Amino acid sequence: MKGYKKYYGQKLFWYLLTLIFAVILNFVLPRLMPGDPVSAIAARAVGGMTDSTAIQKVINDYVEKFGINKPMYQQFFMWLGNVLKGDFGVSFSQYPRPVSDIINSAVWWTVALQLPAIIVGWLLGNILGAIAAYIRGVFDKAILPFFLFVSNIPAFGMATILLFVFSIKLGIAPASGGYGYDLIPNVSWTFVKSVIGHYQLPFWSIVLITIGGQAIGMRSMSIYELNADYVKYSRFLGIKDSKIVGYVFRNAMLPQITGLALSLGTMIGGALVAEIIFSYPGLGTTLLTAVTGQDYPLLSACTLIITIMVLIANLVVELLYGVIDPRVKANQQD
Amino acid sequence: MKEIMKKVTALLCVGTMSAVMLAGCGSSAQPAATAEPAAEEPAAEEAAEEPAEEEAAEEEAEPAEEEAAEEASTDEGSTPRNETLYFAGQQWGTINDWNPMSPNSNNAMGQTQKDTARTLIWETLFMYNSMDGKLYGLLGKEYSWNDDMTVLTVKMNPDAHWSDGEPVTADDVAYTYDTHVKYESSTGADYSTYIDSITAKDAETVEIAAKLDGGKAVNPLKVTAYLCNIYVMPKAYLEKVEERNGEDPDKVKQDTMEDLVASGPYLPYMNNDQKVVFIRDDNYWGQAASMWGKLPVPKYIAHTIYKDNAAGQVALQQGEVDVCQQFITDVQKLWLDEDLPISTWYDEAPYGMTATMPSMFFNCEKPGLDQAAVRKAIAMAVDYEQIIASAMSGQSQTFDELPRCIAGPAESDRAYVDIDSLKDLQWKNKDVEGAKALLDEAGITDEDGDGIREYKGENLSFKAECPTGWTDWNASMEIVAAAGKDIGIDISTYFPEANSFYDDMTTCNFDICMWSAPGAGPMSPYSKAMFYFSEEYAKLASNWSGNFGHYMNDDAEKILQQIPLETDEAKLKEYYTELSKIWLEEVPSVALMYRPEQFYSVNESVWTNYPAADSGNNIPPLVCTDGYGIAALYELELAE
Repeated sequence: MKGYKKYYGQKLFWYLLTLIFAVILNFVLPRLMPGDPVSAIAARAVGGMTDSTAIQKVINDYVEKFGINKPMYQQFFMWLGNVLKGDFGVSFSQYPRPVSDIINSAVWWTVALQLPAIIVGWLLGNILGAIAAYIRGVFDKAILPFFLFVSNIPAFGMATILLFVFSIKLGIAPASGGYGYDLIPNVSWTFVKSVIGHYQLPFWSIVLITIGGQAIGMRSMSIYELNADYVKYSRFLGIKDSKIVGYVFRNAMLPQITGLALSLGTMIGGALVAEIIFSYPGLGTTLLTAVTGQDYPLLSACTLIITIMVLIANLVVELLYGVIDPRVKANQQD
Repeated sequence: MKEIMKKVTALLCVGTMSAVMLAGCGSSAQPAATAEPAAEEPAAEEAAEEPAEEEAAEEEAEPAEEEAAEEASTDEGSTPRNETLYFAGQQWGTINDWNPMSPNSNNAMGQTQKDTARTLIWETLFMYNSMDGKLYGLLGKEYSWNDDMTVLTVKMNPDAHWSDGEPVTADDVAYTYDTHVKYESSTGADYSTYIDSITAKDAETVEIAAKLDGGKAVNPLKVTAYLCNIYVMPKAYLEKVEERNGEDPDKVKQDTMEDLVASGPYLPYMNNDQKVVFIRDDNYWGQAASMWGKLPVPKYIAHTIYKDNAAGQVALQQGEVDVCQQFITDVQKLWLDEDLPISTWYDEAPYGMTATMPSMFFNCEKPGLDQAAVRKAIAMAVDYEQIIASAMSGQSQTFDELPRCIAGPAESDRAYVDIDSLKDLQWKNKDVEGAKALLDEAGITDEDGDGIREYKGENLSFKAECPTGWTDWNASMEIVAAAGKDIGIDISTYFPEANSFYDDMTTCNFDICMWSAPGAGPMSPYSKAMFYFSEEYAKLASNWSGNFGHYMNDDAEKILQQIPLETDEAKLKEYYTELSKIWLEEVPSVALMYRPEQFYSVNESVWTNYPAADSGNNIPPLVCTDGYGIAALYELELAE
């Protein structure tokens, strides 16, 4: 147990350090963008006004209200203090709607889309990799290369292709939104069906590009393990093939768990973009609105939520790793 | 044998995998068909867990949806296709309030107070019709100025009542204005310069006293504009809002007013991050014979919140959107090539009714650009026809068809200018030789032989600026840059983020920038004249209104001050013609193309009988919601 303590302690320390830097960068980076976000809000407010002093008054009012005339470090500590209380402030672009409200309505769509998609993609990828290594033939020569090819298509490209083929050309899938354009959210079979229907394209666009990368890793690991000495030795001993295969894949799985953690980490880069293509009401689209609207509070909150989600996912995987792989424990005890 | 078995198992495994994939895609065919009033669980059970996995949990996370679920008990949980008019291009992002006093409303679909105000929920006293430039009665029946033009009297429509049944009175009109002023809303701040007071003479008579300067109204045009710009709110409801916010100005202005009492034909029904829906108020007062004599045809007005133009356009093509207020490149291809039942205002180019002019401004404080010859030379060398053909895909008249003048493209406004007398001042498209000659004549030549002309020993080198991503504008600026190259002036393009651009434009920190003139309204063409010339705007520290290049011309300024007080049509024509002359001679700014006030394309697969240029019913193409354009809602018919 002593070994674990050290292992977990170290992990937690590094994750905490990462979190601190992430929080600082989350706050600072958006604010380094050129341009004044208040200009845009003020522009809306003064549209159509003709009296000069009145216009100036409105603009000054905003600068004051958002506190962007204060030095950045003061803004940071004010913001941090509020975040610790769970208050992310008020959105600039949807003013006066609180950021937490916006995040709350978006984050569940994202979690419900991304987690299952990544896990399904990971599972299918590993199955494919294992089959390709063990059975070879068409799996190794055709299906795996195909998915490898697909996995190199960027997420937005994949999303656009699916959208074009299934929605615009074939007309069998909806093009945008989280549910039918003519529905009002309610508890009914029609609505649930619509939600499931709108779920398909974003879901598969993520799954399809996840499969290849996972499969290739699994295949190499499996081939390596299949040729390992212990496998040959087991065969000599006359241990059943199915039993050996069980050992092999358990060992080959280990690096794949790291792969899962990594793919959770790349969620932002790829999969969130898929949401934007399908106008899916998740964090990806919210993030885009925040960027284009220079909505600092919303932007900071979005990236912070994503960072925290990724950190937690990684941490959980790493902690699990300690349990799954006895070598980790052994290492620490040396 | 074992080996084969395994291979078969694996094959099956992959087979199922692909089957699941295909089935997944297949099942999504249904939602588009929709509107099955199928077995519905009572909304009261909303807390009950749904059979679907993750998706069910998400639904309940959205607060707006809970309200919707409650209301859904009266409906089938959908807005049936043949009872709903679907929009695109009006509302971007989630609605945040219903408060006409809010400075930050992101609720364009529900409330837009402008010359052609959107009167779906709140209503103005009058509606502006850009077809004939006249005001049509809504809550107000008629209006008249006294002889000195100091007091404007409005007679109310006695039939008008609020959604709670109470009559709309002169008191409401007066109280609305007083509230705007009291809490310093942008409306209050703006209009209090021009309006002294609004009082209720009796229940049906409103008197608007103009602010006076030396015995004359400061700007009677602006007072008239109040009639069609600003919504009337009920006094009783406003008092309630004030009370619950303790009369705190910030809180009153930020009250979301979700429980609003309004007078318009529709009321808010539901909204969330994905859409907004209004439902018809079947007790709407406008069904009185003194107004429309009937209810608007669609029971629901719905606007899906699309992420970008592309998504909105796809929806229009798929028949999920009826009325689309978006610029569509080569819109004619939708019916010529794709054979879709989509139409626009005109069947042929320019397809829309143009009303405004995206224009380029020169920074007149910048050495080089402070010379009229340089400005005019650049303007002369530009290939406007290419701008119109490429950036606007032909959706604008050319300047040969509709010669430049300060009044813009609308016929009712052009009547104020003697276009023929401007003939000699117009320049032909891409007149490179003429431009070069003009520069040579002004002694602005290339002395050091680097191919770029100098002014006072400095190379003429400028940046043409507009926001990144505004592709049609970006293309226009590229064409301007190319024109500079042709005549020996170095113009490069610069496309910053929109907010950086706003900073540059509003503080006169640019060389050449682009912005669009105001559209048609009760103040036009005065509003356009102000936009191009006003010295008052130029003096603002943060100027959003016009004359961004700080062009100072006292003659023009004097005319601008006289126009609002002038009622003699001939005199007005003289003024606007004079301004147009200055505009074309001095070129402080130049129109690059014409553009409609609102883009307007409609899909006629469900609804038909939309206003069109040849329908002859005097309804403007203001997307069935704005100004007198709302009359279109009463004319719609189902396609089958």
